[in-house]
Amino acid sequence: MPTPLGRVVATERRPNTPHEFHFWTALVSPVGIGTIVRVDGSVANDGVITHVYGIVTEGFSWTDLASPLHDVMGHDANPGGSGAPTNRAEIRLYTAAVLRHIPEEPLQPVPMGEVHLADENDISIALRMDGYQASAGIPVGVYRAGGTDSPIYLDSDFLLGPEAAHLNISGVSGLATKTSAVEWLLQSIFTHFPAEKGSVAALCFNVKGPDLCFLDLPGEIGEADEKLYEQCGVTPKPFEHVQYYAPYKSDGVALNTLRSNEALLANVTPLTWGLREVLQYAEVLLNKDDIDAKADALIDFIKENVLDKRFSDPLLERQHQVTSFADLDAWFKDVLRGLEKKDDQSWRTHHVATIRKVRNRLSNISLRCKGLVADDGATSDLPFGSFQDRTVYVLDVAGLEEDAQDLIFARVVTKLREHLEKRDLGVQHVIVFVDELNKYAPGDGPDTYVRKMLLDIAERGRYLGLVLFAAQQFRSQVHRRVVGNSGTAIYGRMDGDELATPGYAVLSPAIKTKLATLEKGQLMVRHPHFTQPIFVRFPRPAVMRGRDGVSKYPSAQAPTLLSAVLRTLRQADPSLTIGWLEDVTALASDDEILRARNDMVRTRPTDVRKAFASHFRAAIAPRSATRTEVTAPLPSAPADDPYGF
Amino acid sequence: MGHVSPVGVGIVSVRDIQRQIAMVLPNARSAGAEGTLELASQHKDEPRIKTATLIEGSLMRAFHVGESDAAHFVAFLDGKQRSHVVSYLGSKTLSVGVAAAVVRERCESRLCTWKSAVCEWRVYAPRILIQDSEWTALSLLYGSSLVDTSADVKTGSAHPFALRDATVKRVNEHRDELERQLAEQWCTTQLQPLFLDGGIRSSRIVAESPWAVGVIKSHNTLYVEGGAFETVMGLGVRERSSVFRIESRTRPAVASWYLRMRNAMNRDPMWGLVRVEVALLAGPKMSRRADDVSRWILAEASPLALPDGRWDKMVYGVRDCEEYLRALGL
Repeated sequence: MPTPLGRVVATERRPNTPHEFHFWTALVSPVGIGTIVRVDGSVANDGVITHVYGIVTEGFSWTDLASPLHDVMGHDANPGGSGAPTNRAEIRLYTAAVLRHIPEEPLQPVPMGEVHLADENDISIALRMDGYQASAGIPVGVYRAGGTDSPIYLDSDFLLGPEAAHLNISGVSGLATKTSAVEWLLQSIFTHFPAEKGSVAALCFNVKGPDLCFLDLPGEIGEADEKLYEQCGVTPKPFEHVQYYAPYKSDGVALNTLRSNEALLANVTPLTWGLREVLQYAEVLLNKDDIDAKADALIDFIKENVLDKRFSDPLLERQHQVTSFADLDAWFKDVLRGLEKKDDQSWRTHHVATIRKVRNRLSNISLRCKGLVADDGATSDLPFGSFQDRTVYVLDVAGLEEDAQDLIFARVVTKLREHLEKRDLGVQHVIVFVDELNKYAPGDGPDTYVRKMLLDIAERGRYLGLVLFAAQQFRSQVHRRVVGNSGTAIYGRMDGDELATPGYAVLSPAIKTKLATLEKGQLMVRHPHFTQPIFVRFPRPAVMRGRDGVSKYPSAQAPTLLSAVLRTLRQADPSLTIGWLEDVTALASDDEILRARNDMVRTRPTDVRKAFASHFRAAIAPRSATRTEVTAPLPSAPADDPYGF
Repeated sequence: MGHVSPVGVGIVSVRDIQRQIAMVLPNARSAGAEGTLELASQHKDEPRIKTATLIEGSLMRAFHVGESDAAHFVAFLDGKQRSHVVSYLGSKTLSVGVAAAVVRERCESRLCTWKSAVCEWRVYAPRILIQDSEWTALSLLYGSSLVDTSADVKTGSAHPFALRDATVKRVNEHRDELERQLAEQWCTTQLQPLFLDGGIRSSRIVAESPWAVGVIKSHNTLYVEGGAFETVMGLGVRERSSVFRIESRTRPAVASWYLRMRNAMNRDPMWGLVRVEVALLAGPKMSRRADDVSRWILAEASPLALPDGRWDKMVYGVRDCEEYLRALGL
C-alpha cells in the first residue's frame, strides 16, 4: 500500500460537505493547488468503502502562535535573531473540491480517511474520462503533480459536438498561450478525432501579425515538449495540409499577407470577391444610419432584378448586365441621368435621393475593401464544397480594414453554415478559430452583424458541426451567450483585474493566484465532464512561430505589376517567363492585366499561356517604313520658254 | 453501525463508563457534563521552605552562566491529567481519571513523538463509603484499574471535597508514575540529554542519570531562606544560584540550583525563575555542570511558549508536549 500523504480532517467550524473537504499533510509533500487526490474512506458504507476524488483548491498554513506579537517578542524585535533550536508546530491544511464519489450514491459528506496522491487511473476516474478516453478522447495536455504524469482527455462529442461544443480561451496577450494552445489542440484533434465520427477541418482567421502564417513549417521544440507529445500520442510535426487565403493589397498587385515570401506561395491563394458576393452582405458594411428601410428596399431591388440579369427600362439609355462594381456604377449613372432628363424625383418608387445615397454607399465598398473586392467581378474564394479532412484553412485578414474583416467573416461563416446544412461542404465538422473576441463579440456596444454571426454559431453551430474556437484577453467583456455556450473553456495566465470580475467568483483565491502566475505552457481547463477546473501542461506547437517565420521568410518586396502577375501565373505554369509576359501585355493597361490575372485565378485554365494571352489584343510586329523609289521628274519648261511647245 | 466518538476524556468515553457502571450498579446515577475535578480541586501544595546543603561554596551566590550554548536537549518530557465525575452512588462520587505522558524528541528542529505516548485511565471510588457489593461489582468490572480514594479518609463520612481532592491526588500520582516510566526508559536506552518538566527525584534511575535534567517552574517549596533567599530573588537574567543538594529519606539526593531565564525587572521576583535538578557530581565538576546545563536551558528560551501563561518559565518543548497531549483529548 502506498503511504498516504494526508488525512481528512473536519471540525464543526470547518466541516466537510459532499462537495468539499479538508486534509492536512506533512510539511514536505507534493500537494499543491490543483493537485488531484484520492480519499479512501475508513468506514465501509453498506459493505463498500467510499472513495472520493478531489482537487486542491486552497491551502492554509499556521503555527501555534496566538499572536504575531509573540513571535516579535520571541525574537526581541530582531528579525534576524532567530537561532531558536526548535521550529514551532506548523500545519499544512488544504481544501479540496470534490471531483467524484465512488459509489456516486448515496451522496454524502466526504468521510474521514487517508488521502493519497491520485495516480493515472485515479485521474481517469476522477475526471470521468474512463467513459470516453479510449473511444473519443482528445488529449488537451498533461496533468503533472507529485510524480504523476497523466494525459487529460477532452470528450470529442463535447468539444466538437453534438453533445456540447465550442472552446473559449482566455489569457493575457504575449505569453504564447491562446494561439499556441489552439495550434496544439488542432494537432491533437487532427490526430485523435475518431474517423467514425466524421471528417474535420479548421478555418482560422488570422487577425493579427504572423501568428498563423507558418503552420506548415516545422518549429523548434525541446525535449520536455517531445515527452508531452509522446504522452499525448501526437506526432510533433507541423500541419500537413494547410491552405492560405489572403486578399490583395489595395494596389491589387501584391497579396496582403506576411506570408508573401516567394518560397511559401505555393499554398497561398488570393481571396477576391465580386459584386455578387459583396451585395449579399451589404448590411455588414453599411451601418444602420446608412441603411434605412428605403435604402434597404432599393438594395433588395438591385439584388433581385439587376444583379447578373439583363436589365432594361424605358428610363435607361441602354440595356445593362450588372456583374461588377463598374457595371453597377454605370447602371446607377444611367438611372440618374434618365431621372435628370425627365426631371423626375422618383423611379420605380425609389426616390432620387435614396438612389444617390445607395450608389454612394455601394460604390464606397469597393474602395473601402479594395484588394478584397474586385471591380471587375472576379472571384477567388474558399473551396466551399470541397473542404478536405484534417486540413487547416487560414484566412489572413490581419492587414485588412475592419470593414473588410467583418465582410470576410460574415460571408465565410454564412457560407460554411449553408454548406454544412446541406451537408456538402466536404467535411462534417469545421472548427472556426477567431481571436480577439473582445473586438468581434463584445458584451456591450452595438449589435453588429459579426456579433450576431458569432452568437448564431455559439448557440446553433453544434447541431451543424460548426464549432467555434474563440480567444480573447478579457472573457468578462465578451458577450455572455458566446462564452456561456462554450462547452470547454481554457484559461492561460490571467490579468488580476480580470480575475476580480464576477465571472471568476467561483474560483478560490488560491486558484486565482495560480491563474495570475501561470507559466508558459500551462493552462486551466474546464470541460463538461470535469466538475472542477484542471491544470495541465501542453507542448509548444511543432510549427514555426510567427516571428521566426517572418525573420526566416521575410515578406517579398513590393513587386512590379508584371512580376506579381507572373508569380501568380507561375503557380499554374512554372515555364512562364517575364519576357513572354511583357510581350503579351505590351499594349494592355494595368487594369486589363489585373483583370486577366483574376480571370486566371478564378477559372484555373489548363493552358494558362493561351488563356491569359487571349485577354489581350495581338500585338502586330513593328515594320520599318521604307521610302518608295520615285523617278525624278523631268524639269518642266518655263511657262515663258520661247523655245517650248 | 454508527460512529463511536469518544466523548469527554481523551481515550476513554465518559458515556461508555457510565453505561458500564449502570449495568452493574443499577442504582448509580450518571453525572451530567461537569468540569474537571482538577479545576474544582482545593488541593494545592502548601508553601513551605526546606533546608538544603550548599555544595558550591559556603555562601549562596549568583553566577553568570555565559552566553547561550547551542541546543543540547534532544527531547522533552511532560505529562498531563484530567478527571471527571461519571456517576453518583447516593452522595458518593465515582470518577474516571486519565493520565498521560509523552517524550517529544527533536528531529531537525521539529518535535516528534519518541516511541509513543502513554495514556491510561482509571476509575476512582471511595472504598469505605460504598457498600461491599458495589465495590465488588466495580472490582469485577475494572480490576486493577479501580482505585480506592478513601485511603486518606479517617472516618466513614468524609467531606465530599476531601474525596474529590483525594481523587485528584491519586490521578496526579498516576501521571507521575507514567512520567517516571518514560523517563526511566529514556535514561536507560538513550544517552542524550532529556528535559523533564518537574523534578527528577521520583526515580532513582532518573535521579542518578547524567542525561536527565528536571526543571521546576513552581516554587511552593523553596530551598533558600534569609540572605540566600534574597540572593536568589535578586538573580539577574542568565544568572544561576550556587548549587545545593536536596535530599530526603524517601527520595534520592540530587543537585539543584535556581536559574533566571528572563529579565524580571519591574516584575514579580519569581518571574522567569526556575529551579533545576540534576544528578549529583563530585567537586568542581558540579559547577561546570551547572553552568553547562543552565546554558542549555537558556538556549531553549526561544521560541516563546506563548500563549501559555507560564511562558516566562516554560520552554517551548514542554509546551509542545502539553499541546500533543491536549490533542489526545487531555
